[in-house]
Amino acid sequence: MADDAERRALVDQHGAAALVSETMPLRANLSVLENIAIVPQYRENLPYAAAADLAWGLLARLGRTDCAFKRDPALTCEERFVAKLLRACILRAPIILVDRPALLLPDIHYPPFLEATLGALEGHYQTCWIVDYAWNAPLYPPR
Amino acid sequence: MQSVHQFLTRVGAGFIGWLKSWRGILRFAAQAAVEAFTPALYNSATRSVVQKQIYFTAWQILPGFTLFAAVLSYVLIQIVVTTARDFGLSDYALEVSIRVLVLELLPLLTALFVALRSGAAINTEVALMNINNEIRALEEAGVDPMRFEFTPRVIGGAISVFALTALTSVLALILAYLAVYGFQLWSLPDFNRVMGQVFTPAAFVILSLKSLAFGLAVTVIPIRAGLEAPRMMFFAPIAVLRGMVRLFFVLMIIEVASLALAYI
Repeated sequence: MADDAERRALVDQHGAAALVSETMPLRANLSVLENIAIVPQYRENLPYAAAADLAWGLLARLGRTDCAFKRDPALTCEERFVAKLLRACILRAPIILVDRPALLLPDIHYPPFLEATLGALEGHYQTCWIVDYAWNAPLYPPR
Repeated sequence: MQSVHQFLTRVGAGFIGWLKSWRGILRFAAQAAVEAFTPALYNSATRSVVQKQIYFTAWQILPGFTLFAAVLSYVLIQIVVTTARDFGLSDYALEVSIRVLVLELLPLLTALFVALRSGAAINTEVALMNINNEIRALEEAGVDPMRFEFTPRVIGGAISVFALTALTSVLALILAYLAVYGFQLWSLPDFNRVMGQVFTPAAFVILSLKSLAFGLAVTVIPIRAGLEAPRMMFFAPIAVLRGMVRLFFVLMIIEVASLALAYI
């Protein structure tokens, strides 16, 4: 994206996409597991145990079960990002938009982290777009 | 002239804002009431929120509040019984105790207690949810916040206030019996006769409606006040302050209205 206006336009254009963004926080009084499980529990009327099993399975795929019972303030940036990404994955939206990953993952070299995380979740989402500014392009490996 | 115009404009704007705010509360209450009777509302997630709300609002405070209500009831009953005896009006002691405690004081005290404990917590939580954009994030995740977060809390709050009022009222009736007749069962027919005089169908309906109105008020007003907060952190305490003051006045209005209905 060339600038913020272009970024906003793209996000608005894809209203049906699941947004993973700094501006879309987790529910503060729910654990990571509950934040993810609440989506199938509410939308598909799954019992909590079944919804939590689904969420636990996704966390296990990323090797992040250690943060399952933590709440938002206790999470590291990576854990928070993973929780938001899994909440978007379990929603089964046609597109997942990861909005400005530098804001979500300020302390790590995020392109390899994103690639590894999305790779581990292969098959659990259809399309994932990373919305980042043009000046961050050199951070990403050439395609 | 200019200053008068500015003053009137300011007062008018304030009044319109006040009206809009109350319209918002009434609309929210109506929406919650309609959804509460919509079977589609109840799924595994919303049932869990209702259960949690009842747990935090009623179950957690049960021992302490029951003890407080029992002590207060016993002291007040003793005061009424002793005073009535001094004035030679012992026959009326039981009826007066029950009317004061069960019909008026205990429902109001229960509502005030729940308002101070759970109402303030709900108001703060909803204001923070609103300020932190958690409500929008829930919508984005395909979860309707009204159905998942707010209506279940209203249902849980109303059930809690109703249940606590019923429990403390039954306790007060038992204590009133013991204070007036002592530890024996032979006076049950007399006690039942007084119960029949106090709990007429009209009095029972008014008591039930009042408890229900209290239950709705202690959740609807704090939630709405939290939702009205502008999305800036320093507005959180202002939202709680406004919600709690509004709630206090609404509880008093409900109490006065029920007194007027019953005695005027």
